[in-house]
Amino acid sequence: MNKSLFALVLTLGLGSLAGAHAATPAPALNDAQIAHIAYTAGVIDITAAKQALQKSHNKDVRAFAQEMARDHAAVNDQALALVKKLGVTPQDNPTSKSLASGAAAEQKKLAALSGSAYDKAYVANEVAFHKTVNGALSGTLIPSAQNAELKSLLETGLKLFQSHQMHAEHLAQSLK
Amino acid sequence: MFRMMILMFGLLAATGGFPPASAASAAKARVHVIVIDKMQYGPMPTGVRAGDIIEWTNKDILEHSATARDGRFDVDLKPGASGRITATAGTLAFFCKFHPTMTATVVVE
Repeated sequence: MNKSLFALVLTLGLGSLAGAHAATPAPALNDAQIAHIAYTAGVIDITAAKQALQKSHNKDVRAFAQEMARDHAAVNDQALALVKKLGVTPQDNPTSKSLASGAAAEQKKLAALSGSAYDKAYVANEVAFHKTVNGALSGTLIPSAQNAELKSLLETGLKLFQSHQMHAEHLAQSLK
Repeated sequence: MFRMMILMFGLLAATGGFPPASAASAAKARVHVIVIDKMQYGPMPTGVRAGDIIEWTNKDILEHSATARDGRFDVDLKPGASGRITATAGTLAFFCKFHPTMTATVVVE
């Protein structure tokens, strides 16, 4: 059950996107769509963190959630400043929609849990979510980004997500 | 007589008139800056001696830390902030407690 519906939706949404990108020249993502996807991923993790801060009583889980909220807010602030500077309006797209609907379903599922069951499920989902977004960043979003500053921000984002994934994996181990 | 000599040495060393190696490093503690940006520690300083200052400057948009593997220091670094320690001899392995993929090592002579 750790392989949640959310992770599945993410994998399908982003995986098929990556596949289409590799197999055929069209339809490449533009920077406005890439910015929207990256921003959406950040918002999703902040929302999940806020839920964790409401539900969890575990000190380490709460510290992790605070870190997620803080880091992703910082990156998203930077992303907003960048798109404003570039005069780009982030553009909604099927991948963003798939991310958002998957996240909503996961949030609903997590809302029904409590105590250590919730902690474990939240952290397991954080591992899966970061893993999926890392795959999308390195496989699709970064290679497709045209603007150098956007590409650079996404590369920092990838390092951040990789680090969060490792942190989540350590945390998941300690909750066993 | 021997005591007098030690006293003289001590006085000279303290005033900088006679610089034996150990006193000189204390008197001329250098500051070595490690810049953090884009989720990584910048180049590690070389030639760091015990008593020197190691300073971390966080130019990233994210909060970081410089946390010793052996627990001898734990410096929190909010975005834009700096923090410093006085180096002690040995191999200082440290990481960011928020972002465990960020690791580095400084050798202090």
